[in-house]
Amino acid sequence: MNDLDRGETGKDLDPVIEAYRNDVDVTLIRENLRLTVDQRFQQLIKLQQFAEDLRRAGRKAREK
Amino acid sequence: MTDFNALLRLLAENEVEFIIVGGAAATAHGSARLTLDLDVVYRRSTENIARIVDALTPIKPYLRGAPPGLPFDWSVPTIKKGLNFTLVTTLGALDLLGEIVGGGGFEQLRSETIEVEIAGVNCLCLNLERLIAVKRAAGRPKDLEVVAELQLIQDETRQ
Repeated sequence: MNDLDRGETGKDLDPVIEAYRNDVDVTLIRENLRLTVDQRFQQLIKLQQFAEDLRRAGRKAREK
Repeated sequence: MTDFNALLRLLAENEVEFIIVGGAAATAHGSARLTLDLDVVYRRSTENIARIVDALTPIKPYLRGAPPGLPFDWSVPTIKKGLNFTLVTTLGALDLLGEIVGGGGFEQLRSETIEVEIAGVNCLCLNLERLIAVKRAAGRPKDLEVVAELQLIQDETRQ
């Protein structure tokens, strides 16, 4: 397996990644790290449901 | 919506050999990002492909984004002829991947996994280090955002 296949190249991407790091909410990560893996998934499922509810509400509002 | 719990149970009950990768793996490691599909790398053995076909048949897999009515034969020969399948099922979106950029296939990735328990199911999940490498190799802007978050998770867990 070459370097690219193993994802070990791309040092030029580091400044981009570094820029993105500044926008990551560390407090959310810390909250998540206190949860078990299962709890993280159940939270994801709730978030999906919430996103779906928002989409539905948006569609309904546009139809008015 | 994707029913992660039901999809994982279905795969496990049918003894499918797979590794959770992608956004779901990021969730397992603590990512706060929303992911809408389940990405798994599956073992490309004939036996495992047969188990996948049996497992998914009841949830009517179909090619995601394909026009309705397009003939799609969900069978062992179809999976053997292809490699990566982005599917929609009655339980939601499932990406069945024979290989991933920066990681290879099931055999290459197997040693770089951790075992996790989700909804009472024990599954293999790509470890954080390899997940970061895979996302870097994919290199799309959205992957680099995930890399930034995963690196922070790595820093937090090392402390």
